[in-house]
Amino acid sequence: MRHFIAAYVSLVSRPFRTLLTMFGIVIGVAAIYAMISIGNGAKKMIIHSLDGINTRSIAITPIWTENKASRRTERRPFSEADIEEISRIEGVESVSGENSKEFSVAVPGADLKVGIDGSDAFYLRTKSMTLKLGRNLNETDLQSKALVAIIGSSVAQSLFGTNHPIGETVKIDKIPFTVIGVVEKHETNLSSRRDENKFVLIPRTTARARLMGGHASVKNHVEGITVIFEREQDFSRIEDDIEHLLRYTRGLLDSDKLNFRMFNFAAARNQMMQVQRVLSLLLGSIGTIILIVGGVGVMNIMLVNVTERTHEIGLRLSVGARRSDILWQFVIEAILLCGLAGIVGLGLGWGIIAVAEIIGEFKMDTGWSVAALAFGSSLFVGLIFGYLPARRASRLHPVEALRHE
Amino acid sequence: MIKTKCLRKTYHLGGTDIHALDGVDLHIPKGQFVAICGASGSGKTTLMNMLGGLDQPDGGSVEVDGHDIARLSHNALARFRNESVGFVFQHFNLLARRTAVSNVLLPLEYRRPKPGDHKKRACRALNDVGLGDRTAHRPAELSGGQQQRVAIARALVGEPRLLLADEPTGALDSQTSAELLELLVRLSQQGLTIVLITHDKEVAAYARRVITMSDGKIVSDQMNTEANTKLAS
Repeated sequence: MRHFIAAYVSLVSRPFRTLLTMFGIVIGVAAIYAMISIGNGAKKMIIHSLDGINTRSIAITPIWTENKASRRTERRPFSEADIEEISRIEGVESVSGENSKEFSVAVPGADLKVGIDGSDAFYLRTKSMTLKLGRNLNETDLQSKALVAIIGSSVAQSLFGTNHPIGETVKIDKIPFTVIGVVEKHETNLSSRRDENKFVLIPRTTARARLMGGHASVKNHVEGITVIFEREQDFSRIEDDIEHLLRYTRGLLDSDKLNFRMFNFAAARNQMMQVQRVLSLLLGSIGTIILIVGGVGVMNIMLVNVTERTHEIGLRLSVGARRSDILWQFVIEAILLCGLAGIVGLGLGWGIIAVAEIIGEFKMDTGWSVAALAFGSSLFVGLIFGYLPARRASRLHPVEALRHE
Repeated sequence: MIKTKCLRKTYHLGGTDIHALDGVDLHIPKGQFVAICGASGSGKTTLMNMLGGLDQPDGGSVEVDGHDIARLSHNALARFRNESVGFVFQHFNLLARRTAVSNVLLPLEYRRPKPGDHKKRACRALNDVGLGDRTAHRPAELSGGQQQRVAIARALVGEPRLLLADEPTGALDSQTSAELLELLVRLSQQGLTIVLITHDKEVAAYARRVITMSDGKIVSDQMNTEANTKLAS
């Protein structure tokens, strides 16, 4: 305690010098605090953007191989057999296939253009959706190519308003379908202009037979497959298995480029996180460098301080101060200096964050732990850069120190 | 109380050896007021530093109350200076930003354990040197004589057995010097051992015993019969 009082008195007695010395630390702490907060805010935003999206899913779509346009092979769809095979892979929970196209959907007095998804009983689960009313598709619907439809909440709202839609008839491309279910409103934070609740789900077999037609070369074709697997850690193994399987069914050699693409939200998120981590690391390093430069300034001033107060140190030694007393006196003075600078730096950093929030239009993560880290780093700088001058002070010979003018 | 045997200290300055102390044998009984005289460079300040544990000899021993302080560790020496010795310097060496009482309690700040009544003790010490009404003054607000009395209060506050004064009157006028020396005589009469370093025969006259040094050696050691008369006058 007495060291703190002595240090405080020493700092306030030279206010201008104290302020100048604090400057580097203030900027360093502000930089670290603001950069980590902005980085964490970005990280949270990335995580948050995938809320409501199943990260244990792989979306598989056929693509053109990257040849020149003239030699480009056609986009080859999957088949019902592929779905069968994929569902047998160990660790796969459910697989759904999907053929989609836009049609007009009409009831007496209203119609709208809607994406029609021809799929199966697993469609809702792979999209993390739940039924609000009615029942899901089943095997019988698919086998009998039933004229049944499950509608998204936006479609229900547009076509039926507040009326009960179950059992009603909707005409999709003039073919009458019976509404058997309504899907609960689904919300994700994925930035997409598409209304995810604006869709109609019908059996995939019905879609092929009545609306979208077959494919020239692939029997029972499927345009897209979504796979849900049981455990997140199995992702790469399952991805490998699927690639292996599809290469075989699509007749690709090991040297051939893939003519389909697999997309996993978790993997995509990890990539985004990695970019963000590198950015945070970069920004954090800048803050650290500023802090180190500030620390050198502190060391410089503390050395001047020790030289100026050599006589006082001699006196303190003569009245019985131990070397450790002198060491602590100067270390604490440096820590107090940096601590004060740390507090001012937090204030400045907070201001920077407030401005960045207004300009960047996203929420920063100004947690106590970040503030504590930034403040703690200022104290650490005080300890590290204060130690050497303090050690020099404590090693002074009492007689020589007293003789010093 | 103090016994030095064959005390030696050599400084190396610009390639030549200077024997600051060259075999000093000295015995000072408890409660004696001793003046050490000599020209500058005679080794008297070096001797004082040895007696007070500020410096360590190259050879020989310094025994204080039977303990050889020349062999103590840094921490043990600091403790010795804190508990057993009070220093008074020519230029007072007060901390300019601190009040008189705060200057006086400096030694108690380093005492382990720190006494609970340290403020009271500091005020009492200031009272004893006649500055009971100046406790809140800073050194710049006090006269030279007053500053030196604050320094004496600081030296005495830890109740040392030995007071070491290095030219304590060197920066004072003759009137103030006399008052200060009378204070030292009174303290010695109360049983305090005092070693006074001076080059001034007038000042040395206040002491019971006068030791004269030259070139690091004791050249004369006399009991001072005038001491009492000097006080009486």
